[in-house]
Amino acid sequence: MKFIKLLTLSLFIGTTIASNAQEKELTPKTFKYGKVDLAEFNTKVSGTDSAASAVVLFDVGRGYFQLDPTSGSFNYILERHVRYKIYNKAGYDYANLELQFYNSNGSKTDLRGLEGATYNLEGGKIITSKLNKEAKFSEKQDKNYTLKKFALPNIKEGSIVEFKYKITSDFIFTLNPWYFQREIPTLYSKYDVLIPSYYLYKESAGGFLYINPKRTVENQNYMGSDGSFNLETTHYSYQAENVPGLKKESYITTIDDYLSKVDFELSSITIPGQVYRQFTSTWGKIAKELKTDENFGSFIKRNGSSKTIVKNLIQNATDPDTIIKKIFEHVKTSIKWNGSYNLYTSELTSKSIFDKKAGNSGDINLSLLVLLKEAGINALPVLVSTRDNGAHPGYPMLTKFNSIIVEAKIGERSILLDATNKSYSPNLISYQHMNHQGLKLDIDLELAEWISLETKNVSRKTINYMLTLDTDNKLSGKLYLTGTDFEGLTTRNKYISATDQNDFLKSFKSDKPGLQVSNYTIENVNNPYELLNETMDVVIEDNLEEAGNLVYFTPLLFDRTKENPFKSEERNFPVDFAYPSEEMYRISIDYPKGYQLDKIPKSEKYSLPEGAASFTFLVAQQDNKIALTSKITVNKSLFTPEEYHYLKELFKSVVRKQAEQLVFKKI
Amino acid sequence: MKNILVILLLLVTYKSTNAQGAYDVARIQPDLLKNASVIIRMEDQNYEVKNPGSATLQYKTVITILNKNGEDASAIHEFYDKFSSIYNLKAILYDAKGIKIKEYRNADFKDRSAVSDGTIYDDSRIKYLEILNNTFPYTIEYSYSIDYSGIRSYPSWYPSSSWGYAIEKSEYTFKIPETMTFKYLKSKDLKTDSLKIKDKNQYKWSCQNIKAIEYEPLSVGLRNVLPWVMVAPNTFEFDESKGNIENWKNVGSWLYSLSSSSQLLPDAARAKVRSIIKNAATPKEKIKLLYNYLQSNTRYVGVQLGIGGYKPIAAEKVFSVNYGDCKALSNFMKAMLQEAGIKSDLVMIGNDMPSLNTKYASLNQANHMILCVPMEKDTTWLECTSQYVPAGFIGNGNSDKTVLLITDKGGKLAQTPTYSPANNFQKRVATVHLDAEGSAAITIETKYGNAQYEDNMGMLYMEPTEQRKRLINSLSIPNIQMESFSFTQPDKELPVLMEKISLKCTQLLTKGGDKLFLTLNMLNRQEGTITTIDNRKTFFAVDYSYQDDDEIIYTIPKGYKLEYVPADIILESEFGRYTAKAVVKDDKITYTRTKMMTNKKYPPEKYNEYVAFSKKIYQSDKQKTVLAKVE
Repeated sequence: MKFIKLLTLSLFIGTTIASNAQEKELTPKTFKYGKVDLAEFNTKVSGTDSAASAVVLFDVGRGYFQLDPTSGSFNYILERHVRYKIYNKAGYDYANLELQFYNSNGSKTDLRGLEGATYNLEGGKIITSKLNKEAKFSEKQDKNYTLKKFALPNIKEGSIVEFKYKITSDFIFTLNPWYFQREIPTLYSKYDVLIPSYYLYKESAGGFLYINPKRTVENQNYMGSDGSFNLETTHYSYQAENVPGLKKESYITTIDDYLSKVDFELSSITIPGQVYRQFTSTWGKIAKELKTDENFGSFIKRNGSSKTIVKNLIQNATDPDTIIKKIFEHVKTSIKWNGSYNLYTSELTSKSIFDKKAGNSGDINLSLLVLLKEAGINALPVLVSTRDNGAHPGYPMLTKFNSIIVEAKIGERSILLDATNKSYSPNLISYQHMNHQGLKLDIDLELAEWISLETKNVSRKTINYMLTLDTDNKLSGKLYLTGTDFEGLTTRNKYISATDQNDFLKSFKSDKPGLQVSNYTIENVNNPYELLNETMDVVIEDNLEEAGNLVYFTPLLFDRTKENPFKSEERNFPVDFAYPSEEMYRISIDYPKGYQLDKIPKSEKYSLPEGAASFTFLVAQQDNKIALTSKITVNKSLFTPEEYHYLKELFKSVVRKQAEQLVFKKI
Repeated sequence: MKNILVILLLLVTYKSTNAQGAYDVARIQPDLLKNASVIIRMEDQNYEVKNPGSATLQYKTVITILNKNGEDASAIHEFYDKFSSIYNLKAILYDAKGIKIKEYRNADFKDRSAVSDGTIYDDSRIKYLEILNNTFPYTIEYSYSIDYSGIRSYPSWYPSSSWGYAIEKSEYTFKIPETMTFKYLKSKDLKTDSLKIKDKNQYKWSCQNIKAIEYEPLSVGLRNVLPWVMVAPNTFEFDESKGNIENWKNVGSWLYSLSSSSQLLPDAARAKVRSIIKNAATPKEKIKLLYNYLQSNTRYVGVQLGIGGYKPIAAEKVFSVNYGDCKALSNFMKAMLQEAGIKSDLVMIGNDMPSLNTKYASLNQANHMILCVPMEKDTTWLECTSQYVPAGFIGNGNSDKTVLLITDKGGKLAQTPTYSPANNFQKRVATVHLDAEGSAAITIETKYGNAQYEDNMGMLYMEPTEQRKRLINSLSIPNIQMESFSFTQPDKELPVLMEKISLKCTQLLTKGGDKLFLTLNMLNRQEGTITTIDNRKTFFAVDYSYQDDDEIIYTIPKGYKLEYVPADIILESEFGRYTAKAVVKDDKITYTRTKMMTNKKYPPEKYNEYVAFSKKIYQSDKQKTVLAKVE
């Protein structure tokens, strides 16, 4: 594996972008459905968005509560009115609207009215084409989800399209998030939320735009079963204008962390005459709620069958590390991860999970926790928001977590455990879980604490060739490979996924033209506790080239970083390597008597400020032997956009230096 | 008493070993395990036609998954729609010894819609179950029944369609009333057993002990080595339509009957057509103008329900909403041409599929519709779902295919145009001014034609920031400072893309001792090689024929001399032709490279020759010239 690939694998989103927000007072704008101004057809966008496929002319949302006459409880209504101008065919997708609806146990989200139209300018006149009945489709995706789709007629380059609709929701724990920013530019976006004083919500805003937050308290009229009544209502309001489009860059996993948006999560309900209910306003409350949750706290408590399992597993062992290892291995091999992350379990007991033999990350890691606790190990769940799920805002918000891992403590020593892959070991958790921080939760004491998920373990890869060059320009000798942490994991996953060793070697050789391998051995492929070790005899042909009396080749052979992983001139997002890494390449060559080294390459060393990353290239020559070392070290996981330039320059040196030829003269 | 106990014990042991034996992995013949990830222990496909409009299928299979590579086989996906219902879904998971671990019933299967990509709506759904097990090997047994209440085609039988699958036993039983006829197509050497049972005719195909085949690159498929059967009706009933598809002529008649009434245009549309073509002199011009109108006023929206999978939405409707699927848009174009006095035929085609089999008519050999405008001299073919390609360009996926013209006289087989290597060209001229530090000022001008135009035309419609990003990532030049770039289609009527780039590079030359090395083929190297395969089984071919011509003119830095220039190379084989040469004049090196490849289907035994040819190209593309300082 080249270093370039390692980078692709290991980059993810970091923290938020530095704020370049400008606080500017905005006057709210209003828009009428069906009323399109001729001037809107001339809308132009400038700067980096000048070639955008479409622009959001406006996107206006209003959310409020209404008493549902049948259930007698409040539900949430979102009214949305959005208009786009389509510049070219790549923007035609904005003429199709897809809305997903959910229902479960009688509660649902539903569409209440939708209008849509296309406006075209023909001979100076605006021609309106309405969304017709046959262009509305409803697809029942599964028992919970329905997708509704709408296709507007008469779409051309230059069309303006518009949708206006209303969605009702029985689910009020979280309200629809509102995005002020998208891939295409937005001229104006406004979001209002009116929340009756019965409810208290926690708002959370993301991104780096100023969204003019305002909060006023008003009296609003509500319709109840016995007529209307007034209720004090908090009016949240946000506006943004001339928002640039935000495009994904490589080495980030979710753009969501950078888009400007606002979210709401319920924290308490105070309805007169009813018991005050608090939801997740503090970490303590979150812990309390999880404690009684059927698929979390209660799951941990239902440990009926774990006693015998644990007893059989640990036998006479007393050393906590051994006990942890035995239980960890048992869970890893007994339950297969089904590829999904979840904070909650899908069954009520760990026994059901073990019977099912498969489960999500919550199923697996909470089952692990149950067994560890049974064995008397001090273990606690750590709530995580995976990389794809984005960064957690940091304050008490339960819904943003989507997975869990386990922390076991032996004295003061903390061990992170994730049993979703057979090749994980203590303190080697999945890449998705390595999202900087996790919330350690003691549900019994109702305590929560943020802990760092950063690892100090450097994922190290060594490649060591000991070769002899013969006069047919063939290299032969030995190759030794080792890998620790994520580097070991990569090879283990590849080896385990292959049909057999031949199949594995075939793909190993596939990007190494001219390499022949024999006497291959691999150690510890199924033992992630020990160093992964590969050894083989190699013969390398077709790599040395002749030019007159010169014989030359690239000494980095197949491990040359051919291209700079950081090619863009600039970068808006941080570069996140997730974990520190090191690639050490060594080669020593005995060359024949008739060959003379023309000039040996210079040894060089490059370092980033504070040693954040470095590249070392060392050459030594004696008699008919040359030895060369190339080492790339990345000592930290996160680099800011300002540091991007340094990284780019470092890898520029890597590419240049590793491309240097070793030249022999035949005498 | 003692004896009885022993006998009882024996009985118990005997029984339990017997129970676990059936799918014990140890029972698999060792030679079937070679190269295998999955073993089909048994497969029984039982299809019975009741009458032209209904049928039932009973299906059962047992699959052993040997390793992670075969894991995909443990996911069960069965499709159904308004005209078919699935029931009796059952699955059982066994461990390596064949001991039952878990049973799954109908309720364990999940149900979801299966609307395909690019389609906004159709009614196909899927029942699925993903069985996961953490220890290999394991075995899955599953079975289900389907009732069909509308027929278009009969199921095929491909007992193994993937690499790494071995088969212990697989069987297809097909029953049909003796009053009905049908047809089938089968692999060479496969035996057909037929038998009359009461008023039905029964056909049976089976295979046993088929070894797994290891992945083979560039393969055109496993069809020539593994058994298979395709079965098709001669008459059928589907969604209130009766069809006779005994031969291609009848397929055409049926499809014609579905579309013949759909070309009426409202007066406004007719007036529009007349105004578009009023200044056009020739039919060719009219076609172009109307096609341009189609491209700039309609878009693809796929809606396919029941017979709507074969019957286009009326042209009138398309005119009012300006969207539709391939049938609707082709038919709308046909209606416009008709108004212009030009006759055209809808075409049934398998896009990215093999040609229609001329001797075997069935509906499942096609997935697409285009339009053919027959002319005395040059017939024009129109792909009506693309908003971008020039009139007459139908793309690689539609080219060189046997297709069916749907005419008033029934179906007529025809051949779509073939793009030769010279058609699918890439022509490039680049200049490189080097300085002694290894930096270079580079200009590149490249033209891409036909299939290569198609591969790159996405660049035309991208935002510049995106174009720039892609360009920087795709060029094999280190340390690029982009100066300018553009993508254009100089002639809207020709499938040719022009790419112009100007850039600086700080690191084109690599050092080696006191010399400088320059890889002459800077832009279009074949990176990597393929390896030889002993005893290859399947035929192979490259994606399409093409020809690349590259010319790079290097100006070498002052104070340097050329110490070595590689010799000319000419490689010739039945797979293609390659030449590379470098000519030095004063301070200039002109490097020219041509590479022409043909996409004929080659037999497996030629593969190693192809590998050797490819390896020589790889070597030639790496060739370097050596520069040294003038002392």
